[in-house]
Formats: sequence, structure tokens, C-alpha cells
Amino acid sequence: MRQLACRFGFVGIGVISGVCFLLTTAPVFAQRSSASASDVEIEWPSEAPPPPLIEQSVVFPEYQIRTLDNGLQVVFVGHYEQPIVNARLLVRAGASSDSRDKPGVAALAARLLNQGTATRTAQEIAGIVDYVGGALDVGAGPDLSFVNTIMMSDSFSLALDMLSDVVRSPAFSPEEIERQRQQVLSGLQVSYDDPAYLASIVFNRLIYGFHPYGMPHNGTPDSVSRITRDDLVSFHRDHYMPNNAMLAIVGDVTVEEAFLGAERAFGSWLPGSLPDGVDDAVPLPTRRLVVIDKPGSVQTAVRVGHLALPRAHEDFLAFDLAVKILGGEGGNRLGSVLRTQRSLTYAASADMVGRQIAGDFMASTDTRSVATAEALRLTVDEISRLRRERPQDAELRGAQAYLAGNFPITLETPNAIASQVLEAIMFGLDLEELETYRERINAVTVDDIERVSRDYVQPESLSIVLVGDASTFVDDLGRVGFQNVEVLSRSELDLAEADLRRKSSSPVR
Amino acid sequence: MVCKRVRHIFGVAVVVLVLMMLGVDPVNTAVRPTKLDYRIVTLPNGLKVILSEDHSTPIVHLQLWYHVGSKNEPTGRTGFAHLFEHLMFKGSHNVRSDEHLTLISRVGGDGNAYTTEDATVFLETVPSQYLPLVLWLEADRMATLRINQTTLDSEREVVKEERRWRYENEPFGMLPEIIYDHAFTTHPYKHTAIGSMADLEAASINDVREFFDTYYVPENATLTVVGDFESENALQMIEHYFGRIPKATNPVPREIPREPPPTGERQVTVEADNWPLPAVVVIHPITYDGHPDAYPLHILSKILSDGESSRIHRELVYEQQVAVSAFGQQTIIEDPNLFYAVALVQPGRTPEEVTAALISELEKMKGEPPAEDEVQRAKNQFARDYVIGRMTNEQKAAHLAHAAVIHDDVTTADAEFDIFMDVTKDDVQRVAQAYFRDDNRLVLTILPRQSRGQFFGRALR
Repeated sequence: MRQLACRFGFVGIGVISGVCFLLTTAPVFAQRSSASASDVEIEWPSEAPPPPLIEQSVVFPEYQIRTLDNGLQVVFVGHYEQPIVNARLLVRAGASSDSRDKPGVAALAARLLNQGTATRTAQEIAGIVDYVGGALDVGAGPDLSFVNTIMMSDSFSLALDMLSDVVRSPAFSPEEIERQRQQVLSGLQVSYDDPAYLASIVFNRLIYGFHPYGMPHNGTPDSVSRITRDDLVSFHRDHYMPNNAMLAIVGDVTVEEAFLGAERAFGSWLPGSLPDGVDDAVPLPTRRLVVIDKPGSVQTAVRVGHLALPRAHEDFLAFDLAVKILGGEGGNRLGSVLRTQRSLTYAASADMVGRQIAGDFMASTDTRSVATAEALRLTVDEISRLRRERPQDAELRGAQAYLAGNFPITLETPNAIASQVLEAIMFGLDLEELETYRERINAVTVDDIERVSRDYVQPESLSIVLVGDASTFVDDLGRVGFQNVEVLSRSELDLAEADLRRKSSSPVR
Repeated sequence: MVCKRVRHIFGVAVVVLVLMMLGVDPVNTAVRPTKLDYRIVTLPNGLKVILSEDHSTPIVHLQLWYHVGSKNEPTGRTGFAHLFEHLMFKGSHNVRSDEHLTLISRVGGDGNAYTTEDATVFLETVPSQYLPLVLWLEADRMATLRINQTTLDSEREVVKEERRWRYENEPFGMLPEIIYDHAFTTHPYKHTAIGSMADLEAASINDVREFFDTYYVPENATLTVVGDFESENALQMIEHYFGRIPKATNPVPREIPREPPPTGERQVTVEADNWPLPAVVVIHPITYDGHPDAYPLHILSKILSDGESSRIHRELVYEQQVAVSAFGQQTIIEDPNLFYAVALVQPGRTPEEVTAALISELEKMKGEPPAEDEVQRAKNQFARDYVIGRMTNEQKAAHLAHAAVIHDDVTTADAEFDIFMDVTKDDVQRVAQAYFRDDNRLVLTILPRQSRGQFFGRALR
């Protein structure tokens, strides 16, 4: 089942900072006296943690970038431990290039890429890729579309040929379009039973309004039903061009093989005129509390946040540290309060997403239904406190130590290295900054955290989404200070309406 | 089968395709992955230590396996091994409650833990200069875990939230619990690692003490360290921190109730909450990890279910379109477990149609051996999984520890590759005939619960 769920969870490169972690890290607030868990008495010294060994130097590993004559940017990272190579092509257009009334085109177009080309049927492509033990994944995120292939290194030429074929010559055959459309619609039907999915689509809709970032990138049951072959062909024609794309080659090939291969597979791809930039009008944050009623739920998904910073913003790093103090590794006030102190949840965290033209931060937890109001109150209070109170030096040092210390761990695999390079290119960041990441982290001061928290955290304008059994908690919300609660059933939900409520006259879609 | 190794040439796609269409035996085979380089030592107190140096990045990964999982839980204490895993973060002689992960994250490290049916695993990745810290932390809690009623009660609530979040409130989240509860009668694989709410509620401080003294002892643990360190230096530190933990006085119990063979075909229909679409599951008991049949069963599963050209996907999802999603998988773990094939019924089609289609795919595996190129495809896919499953220090440590703990033979971490490559199409047919029998088949039909309307009521207010 997880396979089905995953199919709809496209993630591009490292655009989203951080993923959910299984155990939250939390500072210690209270020391409880504990008894030995053993009946056996042993001698054991009382001692402090041992000091570290001598630190090894950390440098950003070597990588190469070249641009082909047609404008395709090619990134190469060599890695020779195992006989495997990974090639991925990223097109700088994703769901944010969809039209407002028809979300899901970029995602469906990407899904069709490996479902038949001018010279190969869908089953032939699957047969070829599976036969050599390869994998070929396709998809689209908010700001990009991707094809990712991994093969043993003796199939490197084949990998590039398949990549080139599916990116440049997809057939968009009507039969395959219907198959994929059916898959997406079935997937959406399952997703509409998933509290995490419902919470995420409603949260994004509140944050980004009718901007394409505000609509689910796989589309809605309504929009997916209306997508035509022309929509897909046009999207591909307008956005898939070498001067709007990046290719990363990672693994067990030489730099010469990589660039020669890229030239051979993609050199004849003709550049085109770039489409207009995406819509950059996102609404100002406004307070809104929406409950999606899911009777019978044993837990409520709680999501709280608002608009924040685009990825390339100069304060991104400082605000990322502030959000870590609120709910990330090395800090995590939310985890301390909600999990460690009150046992209300398995995980509580906050994270930021930086996209091309906007971004957001979101606090997130899931709690038993009857504790919903309490968990929401505590979450909002912690967000307010981030703005109201100057953080402790130790809190900033903890978050800095995590991010700076974690840097070499983010460089363990060649794919992770390539992702950082691609992210920098994608968002127009200075590549030199890859080398100076730790210095820049450590240069942030408590004054900076205080300033960005004041500038970018607006507790009175939070968007709040609760997905759960409304009857178990909706009356409690007013008692802990939350008024103007909008409650919708899932069947009423229509993201295309300003009030999110399906018009009673409109057909069920 | 004779495997000749040839390099793919440009245009191999066309060649392969022609071969496939003609049914000609292809000759290429998987590239041999690089072997792991390691040493293994056992300390006088019984702790097994595996060290594997990799200096490519200045980080180090530690993985500590305790050979105890949910199958070691006594009756009425399901979920206890996992609850205990959580308790290991609640402080020891020199480490305060919840301080363990804080100490790790404050040096840039990542720490976590997980519990399976067979083992409980604690893991940390840190910049390499902090190897002493993580060794010290793990030794401290192995020797001197401290728990009281308050920490037990609070962590119990966290685990109950985890159960709600991961399983009860997640669409199809109850699938594993439904499968295992119906497929087993006696062996503790009947319950999954998360356990039941009632049993979690029943866990006591005495249970904690007994479990800790019985299973969290050096001779039941395997410490694997992979990354940027010098083995001699690391071994000295390990002997210093772990060597002072005394050897357990009693042997670790290993008796697990055995599952009797099924007594005939069964068909069961159940209703489940959070179940968006009807599903069909076809289940057969299979063998244990390390049994010679385990390897052809793995290849068989790939032929049935890895990739869009695999049989189950192609037939049920692509051609007949009776299923929204379908897959088959073997779970090969320490004691004999299950093969199961799952299909989500396409709206408009019936569970009966889907059941027939799934069983038909399993029957075909018995009727004739798979084509050579299907076997080769599965081996190539296996080689890919093998390689991409050994990219990080954590993955390498997991393979080494699994080999040492579950197989009791660390050399299998590498040696199994060749066993897989030697599997023949006749082996695949043979295991299909041995395990996919009518008299050991269980067919589960899982339907969305009817008692609660899917969408009822207007908005509350």
C-alpha cells in the first residue's frame, strides 16, 4: 500500500528542508529521579561525556559543471565505490506553471513521460529498464519536473538514451493518458482518506491562496478529469527545453564519459524561447482556522504556519535557525513541550519550505482527538513566544551546532552532493556558498534570530488546519481562545472556492 | 545456468528488446558489487564488535543491535520490545532522561532507533571525532538504564500516539496487523511490533526490569561501527567503555513457540476502518531467512512484482485493469514468515475477479518455469538493490549486523550475492510449487467498514 501512497508523493530535489524524523530531539527541562532498570547491581563510574578526537577537515567534495551549446547545464559528481550511475534531468517548470483553473497538468505530463515515446511503447520502456536492473522515476514538484534513472555503470549509455528519449519525445498517447488519469484519480480517492494529505492541501491553499502553489500539484479530482491531451502536449512543448533544464550525472563514470555522454544524448536537443516567469502574486498572511471533519478519527492532524521566505532570500538561513529552535534538530521547543513534557504526541516539529518565489513555515503535530485544543494552544503559544522572547544563547548554539556539525553527514552520498549543487543552481544561489555553509551558519547571532522572528513571525495571522473528528474537539477550541472556526466535511471541500465549500448547486465532482 | 559476463554496448536496448521478443536467452549478467571490508571481534563479556573503515567522508556510524524483538514478547505484553526501545532514551547513570539525543544533535549528529520482529536497533551518525561520545552513550545505557513509573507512564502515552499515527489513523495502516493476525495461530509473529493498546497499558516496571536483565546484556548485542576511524583505536575505546559491563549470569532464552502448518485453504472477509478501497490479499507461509529456498523465493517475488514489466503489475494493473495497485512480496526473517500478494480493487471491479487474477499469477509460476530473461531481469534488479542498499555507512552497518545477528555468520553479508546469482529458473518453479499450494493458501478480502457512512452529516457548528 505504501507503494501506492508513494506514487503520489513526488519530491524533487532538496527543495524541502528536512523530513519528518522518527524521534524528536528535545532539550531537557526537568530532571526526574529514576531508579535502576536492573535488579543486578554493578559498579559503574560517574563521569562526564568524553571529549572529541581531533576534528577532520570538511570540504565540499569536487564536482564539475558545464553548459552545452543548447543551454543544458550538466553537473557531474564522480563516485567509484560501487559500479552504479545515476542520471537525472530536471526541468525548471512544475506545478507553479499550471494554470489557476487546471492544477495537475505538470504532474500528469511528467507521469506520461515514461509511458511511451515516438519509438517505444510504455511496456517496451518498462521492459528495457527493468531488464538491466534499472529504475526510471518521473514526477513533478512545485517548481520542477524530473526524470531520474539509476543503472549499473555498464548501462550508462543506455541510461542516457532512455533519459533523452522520455524527456524529448514522449508520445502522450490517449490510451496511456487515460490509464495514468485513472491511476491519479484512484490515488486521490485514497489520499482524501489520509489526514496528512488533507491537512497539507488545505494548509497550502490557505497559505498561497489561488496561486498555483496553493493547489495540490497532482491536481484535484475535478481538474484531473478535465485535463486534455493538448494541455499535456503544450506543457511539454513550452517548458521542456535544454535551456530550461539541468542534467546531473553521478557515480561510477569518468568526467570525460559523463560530458561526452551528455553531449551525445542531449546535444541535438534544440533550445527554445523560455516561457514567461510564473505568477508571483501570493496573498498576504491572514488568520484562518479550518477544521476538516473526519468522523471516527482517533487522532487530529494539526498544522499551523504562514507565508515565509523564498529559498534565495538573504534571511533564509537565519530564519531556518529560528525555525529549528522552534521545532527542529538541535532545538525543538515544540518537541519538548508536546512530546517530552506532556506526552501528547509521537512527534512535534516545525519546518520551512523555500520555493522559487515564496515559502512558508509550518508547525506540525498529530495528537489524540480529545487533546486537539490543548495541542493547538501549546503550538500557537510556542510560535508566539518565538517572536516575543529573545532566545537563549544556548538554544541558538544548539541549532547552529546541529546544522554545522551535520554538514559532513549531508555529503555522504554522491547524490546528496549533486542535490546541493542542483538546488543552488535551481534557486540562483552563489555556488561559492556551498563551501562556506558552516561559516555562514556560525555567523548568525541571537540578534539576527530576534530580528527575523520579529520580521517574519506573525502569530495573529496564522493559518491553522485541523483534520480529525470535529465532534470530539470543536467545542474546546473556543475555550482555549480560538474563535471563527470554519468546519467542513470532506465531501464539501472544494479548493477552487474562496470559502473552500462546494457550492450546493454545483455537481459533485 | 551458465552466466557469461559481457559489457553492455551502445544500443543494447534494441538488442535486449529483440532478444526478449524472440525469447532468446540473453547472456549479460549483473556487475559484481564491491565487497565490504571489515573485521569482527568478540569481547570477553560476549559483545560482538564489527568494524569497517571508510574514510571517504569524515563521519562515523554506530549501530547497536540487541537480538530481541516483538517475537520475544510474552503473552499479554505485545508491543513491549518497542516500548522498551523508547525507554532506552529515558536516562542512565551518567545521562539524564531525554538527554541522549540532545547530546548527539548538539554535535551535528543524528540518532534514532527501531524495533522489528527479531531485533531492536539503536543507531547514531556523527562527525568522526565524536565516536567516543556515542560509544560512551551506548555503553552507559546498556549497563545502567534507569526507569521509574513516571517515565514509563509518559513514554507509554507517546507510543500509543505512535500507534494511532502510524497505523490506526493512516489509510490501509492496519494491513500488516490484519494479515499477521489471520495468518498465524501460535508463533508470536501473529502480532506486529507496535502491539495492542491493552497490552501497552499492562506493561509494568517489573516487566521493564526483567526484559532489561534478560535481553539487554553484552552477549545479546552486536556493535557495528562503519566510517572514518582507525580500527585499533576504535577497538581500544570499545574495550574501555563496553568491556567494563559484566557478562550476564544467565543465558539468553531462545525458545519461541512454533507455528503449526496450516490445515487447509481458508477464505476470510473482514471490514476495516480507514480503508478507502476494497483489497484482496493472497497469503502463503514460506520459510526463514537463510534457508536455501529463501533465495529463489526472493527472485520469484521480483519476477512477480518488481517494476512495471513485472507479472502482477502488468497483468492486473496495466492489462486487465482490475486493480488500482498490486504487488507481491516475501517477508523472509528469522523464523518462517509469509509471502503475500496484495491488490487494491479498481472501482467497478469485484474482489472475486481480483482474487482470481492474483491466484492465477501465482499458479503460472508453478505451471512452468519463468523465461530465462525474466530470471536474469530479476537478478539484475537484485544487483541494483544490493548496490544501492550499500551506499551509506548506515546501510553497510545494517547488512553486516543483520548477517551477524540473524544468520549468526557475518560472511553472509557478502556471500549471499553469489547464491542469488546462481538461482535457476527451475529453482524458481520448484519453490513456487513447494509454497504456493491450495492447502496452505489464505485469501483475505478486506472491505471498508460499512457501519459508518463515509461522509456523514453536515458541518458541525
